[in-house]
Order: sequence, then C-alpha cells, then structure tokens
Amino acid sequence: MPGHVAAGCPSLIGVQTLVSDDLEIIRRVLHGEIDRFAELIARYQQHVAKITNRHVPSDRVAEVAHDVFVRAYTSLSSFSGQTPFEHWLSGIAVRTCYDFWRARRREELPVSTLSTEHQAWMDHVLAAESDDQFREQARRQEAAELLQWALGHLSAENRLVLTLVHLDGYTVREAAGLLGWSVVNVKVRAHRARQMLRTLLLERKRQEDDTTQ
Amino acid sequence: MTRLNDENLKKVERALTEAHRLRQEPSLGADWTLRVMRDIRREAAGHGQSMMFPGIDRLVWRTAAVAAVLALVFTGSVLFFTNRDTAELTALLSNEIDVVAPVSE
Repeated sequence: MPGHVAAGCPSLIGVQTLVSDDLEIIRRVLHGEIDRFAELIARYQQHVAKITNRHVPSDRVAEVAHDVFVRAYTSLSSFSGQTPFEHWLSGIAVRTCYDFWRARRREELPVSTLSTEHQAWMDHVLAAESDDQFREQARRQEAAELLQWALGHLSAENRLVLTLVHLDGYTVREAAGLLGWSVVNVKVRAHRARQMLRTLLLERKRQEDDTTQ
Repeated sequence: MTRLNDENLKKVERALTEAHRLRQEPSLGADWTLRVMRDIRREAAGHGQSMMFPGIDRLVWRTAAVAAVLALVFTGSVLFFTNRDTAELTALLSNEIDVVAPVSE
C-alpha cells in the first residue's frame, strides 16, 4: 500500500496519498466496514503512543492510547476531512490525556515524594560543566522523577499546557489547536504553569539547603 | 551547595526538558490492537444506529441551529405585532374615554 511507504518517508505525493487513503478508509468504516478501522490503528498507533507517553505515566500509556482510538471511532462521523486525520487524532489524544489527569485529581492520589538522591540531583546538574555531563544528569532516573513530582503538584490544565508548550516545544497556537482552547487561555496558563514549576523547584532547593545546613 | 538564581533555575529547567524528551518510546504490542478492535466492535454494536447514518450528528446540530433562528424570528415578530396591536388598542381606549368623559360630568 503506498500510504505505508509514505508514513516512513513523507514526500508530498506520499502524504497526499496517505491523506486520501485515510479518507477512503474512514468513508468505508462509516458505511459499516468496521474492521477497516484496524488499518488506521496500525498506521497511527505509534503516533498516538508517542503523544500519550509524553503526558501520562509509562504504565498507563497503553490504556490511554486504547481510549484515544475508541473515542476516535465514536466521533469519526464528526471528522470533516479539512485537516489531516493524524492532526485530528492528535487533538483527541491530547484531550484524552487531559481527561486522564482530571479523573486522577478526583481520585485524590498522593503525589510522589522525593528522596535525598532527587534533592542532590539539582546540585549535580548545576555543577555539570560540559554538555556531556549535563546530558548524563538529564538521563538519570532522578531527573524524570523530579519532573513527575513537580508536574504532580499542578492542575490538569496547567500540567498539560506546561508539557505541550515548555517540554514538547509546541507553539502556543499549536497547543491551543490541539486542546481546543483559545490562544489567550493557553498563553496565560503556559506562563502561570512555568512560574508554578519554578516556585516548586525553588522551594524544593531551599528545603534541601536548610536540611543540609 | 549552589543557590538557585535565575540562571541556575533555567539550567535545571533545561535538564528537566531534556529528561522529558529522553523518555523511552513505548510499544503497544499486537494484543493491544486486538483489544482495541474488540471494544470498537462492541461500541459499534451499541451505537450501530448512529453509525449507519454518517453525519447525522452534524445534521441534528444544523437543524437545531436553524430551528433556534426561526424561533427567534417568530418570537421577535410576535412581540413586534403584539406591541403594535397593544398601542393601537390603548389609543382606541383613550379615544373612547375622551369621548365618554364629558357625558359623565
């Protein structure tokens, strides 16, 4: 199938073939050929898994990605075809991640705690002199856990916006498009969420310094 | 021990961003696709009616929008004509009173 070739090396003709292929599959699914939806899953499961992996814990990626495709199927009739299916699906993936954290907040699960290794990690980062040393610190488990700890203190909205804009590097406009929110809303939240992250890190560092003194 | 000034804070933020980008790629597996398709077939059985008429949702919303506009126009015209009738009736009654008033004196 030409679409599969295009997925690996997206030339302009390849992308157009993929898009028209998607539209044809969607048309057939909507006319009752439900099994054809598996082709869309095969085509985009890695893309969806990548998005969900950046927003939810690793052990929940499969479950959230599952929800994304079920949601995509149930709202398939609302897909207008004006934007590529991949983009439409990305929006659903991001909003499903948002719902995941909103539901999690209702459960009121405790946020993870930090050990002395996490606290020392910041000092190691600041002491890193070369790029290699800096990257080595970023690769450490403590870095990922400290980030999760900080994100765990933010609301679902702020968490999502911070991840999209500051960590993933989406523009405010792109993030707003994915979330279905206004640009102003995302801009304000992105600024506020970053300030909150900074305050958390500063407080953490201050506590650490107080205990070591 | 290093104090967190603005520059240091940016360095920690950069390290956290790097950590975020270094997350391992997930793999979902073949069983996962089968489970998703099983749920989708179940969903299709439950919502077979709406899937048999693709675009029905959009049609319903468009009809609702048109109905709302029509209702607004209808309400507006009723209010407009009722007010005009009321004004005419008031003028007529006041005319009646004017005519009747000298007789009662």
